[in-house]
Amino acid sequence: MPPSGRVWDAHYLDGQTPVRRPVRVLIGRAGLEITLTDGGGSLRWPLAEVRQTQGFYAGEEVRLERGGELAEALLVRDLGFLTALRAAAPEAAAAFHDPGRRRYRVGLTVLAGVAAVGLAIGLYFWGIPALATVLAARVPVSWEVSLGNAAMAELAPVARRCIDREQQGRIDAIIETLVKTLPESRYPFRVIVANNPTVNALATPGGSIVVFRGLLERTENAEELAGVLAHEIQHVMHRHSTKAILRQASAGVLMTALVGDVSAVVAFGLQSARTLGDLRYSRQAELEADRDGARMLHAAAVDPAGMVSFFQAMQREEGTPRTATRYLSTHPAAADRLPALTALAAARTRQPAKLLPGVDWNEVKKMCGERPGSER
Amino acid sequence: MAEGCPRCGFADLTGERCSRCGVYVTAYRASLEALRRGPVLRPAAGPPASAATAAPGAAPPSATATRRLTFHGSAGALLGLAVTNVLLILLTLGIYFFWAKARMRRYLLGETELEGDRFAYHGTGRELLIGFTRGLVVIFVPVALLSVLPAAYGAPPPVRHSLSTLLWLLGLLLMPVAMVGARRYRLSRTSWRGIRFSFRGRLRDFVQLFVVGHVLSSLTLGLYYPIYSTHRQKFMVSNAWFGSQKFDFDGRGRELVWPFARMILLFLPTLGLSWFWFSARRQRYFTDHTRFGPARFHSTIAGGALAWMQISNFVALVLTLGLAWPWTTVRSMRFTNRNLSLVGALDLTAIRQDAQAASATGEALSGLLDADFGVS
Repeated sequence: MPPSGRVWDAHYLDGQTPVRRPVRVLIGRAGLEITLTDGGGSLRWPLAEVRQTQGFYAGEEVRLERGGELAEALLVRDLGFLTALRAAAPEAAAAFHDPGRRRYRVGLTVLAGVAAVGLAIGLYFWGIPALATVLAARVPVSWEVSLGNAAMAELAPVARRCIDREQQGRIDAIIETLVKTLPESRYPFRVIVANNPTVNALATPGGSIVVFRGLLERTENAEELAGVLAHEIQHVMHRHSTKAILRQASAGVLMTALVGDVSAVVAFGLQSARTLGDLRYSRQAELEADRDGARMLHAAAVDPAGMVSFFQAMQREEGTPRTATRYLSTHPAAADRLPALTALAAARTRQPAKLLPGVDWNEVKKMCGERPGSER
Repeated sequence: MAEGCPRCGFADLTGERCSRCGVYVTAYRASLEALRRGPVLRPAAGPPASAATAAPGAAPPSATATRRLTFHGSAGALLGLAVTNVLLILLTLGIYFFWAKARMRRYLLGETELEGDRFAYHGTGRELLIGFTRGLVVIFVPVALLSVLPAAYGAPPPVRHSLSTLLWLLGLLLMPVAMVGARRYRLSRTSWRGIRFSFRGRLRDFVQLFVVGHVLSSLTLGLYYPIYSTHRQKFMVSNAWFGSQKFDFDGRGRELVWPFARMILLFLPTLGLSWFWFSARRQRYFTDHTRFGPARFHSTIAGGALAWMQISNFVALVLTLGLAWPWTTVRSMRFTNRNLSLVGALDLTAIRQDAQAASATGEALSGLLDADFGVS
């Protein structure tokens, strides 16, 4: 390739002093021939050692550097220099910006914007849930248990738990009846009754289930509570809350990376373990927990009618703002949930046995103590 | 004139050129002479320096001028950069964040000009990623040991409370580490005319300053705060170097005590707006007490303009869900430069390259802890 004959006016920074020295540059066969016009000789820069660090935007001088961290630099005002350089050394052209590409920038930016929006939607509705499912399956049970314990410390602090050994024993008996039906129990299931008027029950990862006082007081019999517990046990078995945490955390991390603040990444990581109470399961997760919960009741010979009647009671209460009913907000109710539940309950295969025969359910309901206004 | 070649010292000079290194002797002498005199500094476009602001003494008039920073960036280019960054962050599930950050800084500094030369940013995404990983370890190990694990294993509340106090103290101590680290990293990766900036403050000194400042500020109900923030500024500025030339700061902060007290008194009646007037006052004070050799910085920032700038930017960001970010960024860069000048002789001849090593860990810590420190 013949060297272009043109001499380019430029400036040279030696990387040692902040002095801008005028030079003339010739694009030669072996590289750039640089002559200091104020005297002081000439330099030769082999093109392979030259990199461009500025001059990608309108108005910027082209800045070429050579050397390590503290480089010498060549500053050329004329953009035509880049074009000439690329033409003179096609094998090295990729290392230098092509000013001709600038006119496609607006179009490319629009394209990138559209792609980014599409990608964001895809990630949010499909990518992140899929990732959470894959990751959740790989989380060791022991991690889930410690995560659940940490969450439990927030959801139901020790000082606000209802402690009544006798009633707790009865609830534990229900759990035992249900868990017995599992082929293998990876999780240490336990129920904690929290002294909190909220009408809700939550499964934390690792097998700890919180039943709030408000919900316990609204159950009519052991079968209703068993229905709630079977449903929550299935959330644990399917790792729904672990998935939800991973989903929420990864969406949060990605969001933070987009907005550009790293500190929030940490905040999210710590927060997501604590805001378990605000997690929502997907409708699919609810249907899954209903279905397998009902199967569990069948297998344990518990009357599934309790599950249905409690759910109906919750639905009746929905929309009465007076009560702190959060059960349906954390367990989103799709229109088809109740019919599906009823159908599942109807398909009984064996005669149910009465749970906790001879136990006055009112005693269990009031294990957090009698308080005025708590009666329905 | 029998002193030999000015470049290589070769003694036996016979003709116009040195027969050993090939340099033109008289031309090289002339260029050395020019180097000693320093570059010819043309007056910047800003208002002409008045006699009162001219540096005293022997500085030649050509070297005495008011110099300004000019930001050449456009909101359109910034938007394009942000859009492609978002796309790449999504494609890489967040990993590109660090490269995006480096790219953005490279653009913003590369578009900032002083005396006809752009600044350059030399940080890389790789460095930032490594720094972030180290920073995460530094933060997460104590958080895990002192907060999550005790909660997970059900430590008694007094133990948990004292551990979380310890964690809080540790976090407080990490703040100065992060602030110094960030400054050290950013200055070391910034250059002008090929000469790197650097920061040489000792971490121990800053931790001491930080702890004492916080203790005294709380003991004096905040009245010590303006003095403390001046000390902080002094540390950050007077340990900053450009090559072999140091910046100086000679403010003591007493002049800020009354403006600060007035701001506090007027805070409620003005619905917090008094903060902007104090902030502008402090910025003027800090700037006007900063020197670079014989030249002094000068700020003309006014409270009303600052308030309008920041409030209108904030409103624009909120109303556009952040999409106005490129415009607000360009606007505030221009605002800062408009109000900042360097008055007096700028003597560059004695300055040599004198770069200092710095890792990005402190920088990452500052991001993680939200300890971003707004000094220019």
